[in-house]
Amino acid sequence: MGTMNEGAGARAAAPGRRTNGAAMAATLAAGIGAAALGLFVLLNAAGVYSAPSIYPPAGGLSGRSTFAVVLWLAAWWILDQRWRERDLAPGPIVGWTVAMAAFSVIATFPPVWELF
Amino acid sequence: MLFSTRSLLTMLHGLVLSGGAIMAIAAALFALRAMALPEGAPVSERQGNNFAWVAVAAAVLLWLAVLGGTYIVFPPYRATPPEGLLDLTGYPRAILLADPSKRWLHTFAMEIKEHMPWIAAMLTTAAAFIAHRYRSTLLAEGSLRRATGWMLSISMVLVLCVALLGVFVNKIAPLE
Repeated sequence: MGTMNEGAGARAAAPGRRTNGAAMAATLAAGIGAAALGLFVLLNAAGVYSAPSIYPPAGGLSGRSTFAVVLWLAAWWILDQRWRERDLAPGPIVGWTVAMAAFSVIATFPPVWELF
Repeated sequence: MLFSTRSLLTMLHGLVLSGGAIMAIAAALFALRAMALPEGAPVSERQGNNFAWVAVAAAVLLWLAVLGGTYIVFPPYRATPPEGLLDLTGYPRAILLADPSKRWLHTFAMEIKEHMPWIAAMLTTAAAFIAHRYRSTLLAEGSLRRATGWMLSISMVLVLCVALLGVFVNKIAPLE
């Protein structure tokens, strides 16, 4: 992440302008949360790890989604603490977020589970 | 009673909350483009607030749809019928799995519906956060507009796909 924090695209905030760090933290955290959900789904499909059901009537979905949301919020909090006062290059962060969202969409696509 | 409670909850989930979220995301995407200002231009408080509230409404509606879908509508959908029951009315998943021509509606459509909305909800929340926190500058800051636009666009595609699959499932095996 060093290039995201202090890379060539990073710039100093103009006087009175709010830094974009908090926005980038929210963006990347959403990607991380999405990727976490995809990973839990893939691990479940492969029989490697099944998140326990938090609410039995909803089955394993309740566990997978709850764990992903917890990871998303934790990632958001940590990134926000680190980045909120910084100005970051948005390109790589948005790119990683889109890539992680794409991974999650693929991972939650049922035909993919048949590969395991 | 014309509609059962479960049927009404399904309509609330699909039409009111999910439909409202789709409209709000569409409105936010349109506003993001239509209300865009030149880089660094002053953003009126009214414009910034209006955009922020549309984005926040999208996120709130989407979360209500996702949580209601997972914890209120999904459990009766996936309920297992008692052993030997011949009339599967009231057990939508069992209805779908019992017929090979309808099986894909559970193994493909419903499985997608279970997970993808959570991705959209997280992305839309991030977009709503940016729209609210940066409401005084977002419309005149291209890089933030693009980040917000990417997340809203992905959410829109996912929610539209999921909504369509939901219509298919509910047409064939409605919660009654």
